[in-house]
Amino acid sequence: MTRNQPFNKDTDVRPSLVGPTIAALLSLILPGLGQLLAGASRRGLLLFFSLGSSIGLLAWRIRLAARREDEVVKIFLKAMSLQPFLIVLVAIVVALWLWIAWDARRQAQAKGAGGAGIFVLVLVVFFALGWQITEIDLYKAVTQISEAGPPLMKILWPWQKAVTQEESYTTARADIVTPCTDNPPAPPDEVPGQPYVMVEPTCGIPSESGKPGTVLTVTGRGYAPNTQTVFWWEDPLGGEFRIWKEGEYLQVQTDDNGAFETQITMPIIVIPPSAGPGPHFHHLEARQTASVGAYKASDELKLAVERMVETIFLGLMATLFGVVLAVPVSFTAARNLMSTSRITLIVYYVSRTVLNIVRSIEPLIWAIIATVWVGLGPFAGIIALTLHSIAALGKLYSESIEGIDPGPIEAIHATGANWLQTIMYAVVPQMIPPFVSFTIYRWDINVRMSTIIGAVGGGGIGFLLIQWIRLLDFRAAGIAVWFIAITVAVLDYVSADIRQRFV
Amino acid sequence: MLEVKNLTKIYDDGTVALKNVSFEVRDGEFLIIIGLSGSGKSTLLRCINRLIEPTEGEIIWDGVNVTAAEAEELRAIRRQIGMIFQQFNLVKRSSVLNNVLSGRLGYMNPWSSLLYRFSAEDLRRAQEALERVGIPEQARKRADELSGGQQQRVGIARALMQEPKIILADEPVASLDPVLAVSILSHLQQLNQEDGISILCSLHYLDLVKIYATRVIGLRGGEIVYRGTREQIRRMTDAEFKEIYGAEAVRISAGLGEGDEPA
Repeated sequence: MTRNQPFNKDTDVRPSLVGPTIAALLSLILPGLGQLLAGASRRGLLLFFSLGSSIGLLAWRIRLAARREDEVVKIFLKAMSLQPFLIVLVAIVVALWLWIAWDARRQAQAKGAGGAGIFVLVLVVFFALGWQITEIDLYKAVTQISEAGPPLMKILWPWQKAVTQEESYTTARADIVTPCTDNPPAPPDEVPGQPYVMVEPTCGIPSESGKPGTVLTVTGRGYAPNTQTVFWWEDPLGGEFRIWKEGEYLQVQTDDNGAFETQITMPIIVIPPSAGPGPHFHHLEARQTASVGAYKASDELKLAVERMVETIFLGLMATLFGVVLAVPVSFTAARNLMSTSRITLIVYYVSRTVLNIVRSIEPLIWAIIATVWVGLGPFAGIIALTLHSIAALGKLYSESIEGIDPGPIEAIHATGANWLQTIMYAVVPQMIPPFVSFTIYRWDINVRMSTIIGAVGGGGIGFLLIQWIRLLDFRAAGIAVWFIAITVAVLDYVSADIRQRFV
Repeated sequence: MLEVKNLTKIYDDGTVALKNVSFEVRDGEFLIIIGLSGSGKSTLLRCINRLIEPTEGEIIWDGVNVTAAEAEELRAIRRQIGMIFQQFNLVKRSSVLNNVLSGRLGYMNPWSSLLYRFSAEDLRRAQEALERVGIPEQARKRADELSGGQQQRVGIARALMQEPKIILADEPVASLDPVLAVSILSHLQQLNQEDGISILCSLHYLDLVKIYATRVIGLRGGEIVYRGTREQIRRMTDAEFKEIYGAEAVRISAGLGEGDEPA
């Protein structure tokens, strides 16, 4: 064994205080105790904490699996039956415990005995626990893979949703009365050339739970031929709903003459007692929808374009403010400029610390703080990205100031140039490439960030994206995703191009 | 004529870089300073145009006291003193032409120089300087695209733009291979002989010293330990050599035989 191996540092220090059997028994009672007394104290402690924490985690998972049980035995059995993988985990942990006892015996027998094998088992225990804790379910992942198809396809090709057409309705309605009275309403008058719908009978009893209501025969004429027709019911309170039949919305196709005939059962209609005993008037409407006219951009498309423009400018403004504010800050954070006196050195340390703190807080968190500060919208996003940009650019700029070559400064001084000329000829040419490069890099990051900063209310397209995903409107979300992808790709190209020109 | 009188430099950390150094560079001389690294050669050269402030002593340039000069006067003196460096000290990302033109800054109107507006006269002068050092076709390239030898030529061209009466060269060939070293030093020699520009140059290689120097001084631990002519250098004994380079030093020939002139 070489000295570098971490677990054997103490093996040749002291002789074992206990015999092999005692050590094994002690480790069986308190894992690691045997090793401790056998002189392998680091190994003992490490094993003690490994086993202790894995038993703790296992107990937590078992309790979680059998939430409703109270007794220990019942909890255990319920958990094992619900999640068989826990059995495997228990077995591995028990095996680890036994190995620890056996390991204690070997430690007591000989110095330096026992390799790193036991720690491999410790790792196995932790990864198995990780598998259980993170609820990895490969079976589900394989069997339900088809579920991912529809949303994925909609996101990948959302363009049906990008255009709409004007819709026109062909519609007619008939009156129905509940309950039946002596003189039920007459069928509506038929006007030639107009769509016409007739219900027979014109009165009846609505369905109730488990008791179907009156069956109505609906006949229509004068509709567009060979077109799907749907039916809407309007109750006396003005509420409208579509008619269901056999678990689906009822759709009827008209024949070649534009006529149809179908039967519906009167739906369940809840009429509040305050509406009185009746009679109540209902309407049945048969409706055809046709898309007419030219395609035009849908509301989703228009919204996505608007928000994308907002997003790009959000990133631009944040970069602008970030750069303008980061330049002065970067001079105070450059060690070579600030090491002239104790006061400037304090300024250096303060600005370095502040920059590090601001930078370590994610822009999304700054955005949440900014939305509380200035309200929802792009301005909050600008504040968040600006703060993070100042911190990130301040650090990068100051490091590039620290890294400039002092040689040219000396050389320009030697030509008899004054201070300002030296800055312009020796410092600025060295500063421009890193400044341009870091600024473009930051602009790149800011536009990318601004696409998601809307998710927490910071304005831009992220807000739409999150909203559409939550509404399961994957086509609309797909439009947003496409715009983001296109913008980022264009930006990548442009920034690489600009960087190449300047640097 | 450049006179250095009792020059002493003690750095803030207490390091004594130069101790009571006195010598002079007569017009048209090619004076070479030899010595180990750390013997004070670079400090000495930088004290002359006050890139480093001397602690004590005086530097007289053409009768003017450099050490007492105020800012404006110092700049006027500096522009007469060209300087080239071991690491060339070019602005790597600027063009060769801009690097050369920057040698003209001491003469220019400060405001137009800030906008990089150079007169036609200065542009012609820069092109001439580049032709003089043999790289006129490289003017538009970025300085860091050039090889080391070419970069040092740009350094010389920049110094030429100052119309200098003397050129301080701080280990001008230490970063170059021997062939390029000979070429650069030959350029300096040409300036020395044709234009009468005095050269004050620090060097490592004794063999090169023998070829180019008209006079030599040796520095060790910040003190002048040797003064001699080219002929004396050629006949230098091992004892004298060790006086300058220390007891451990061994003479290493850079491939140039004793007394041989380069082809």
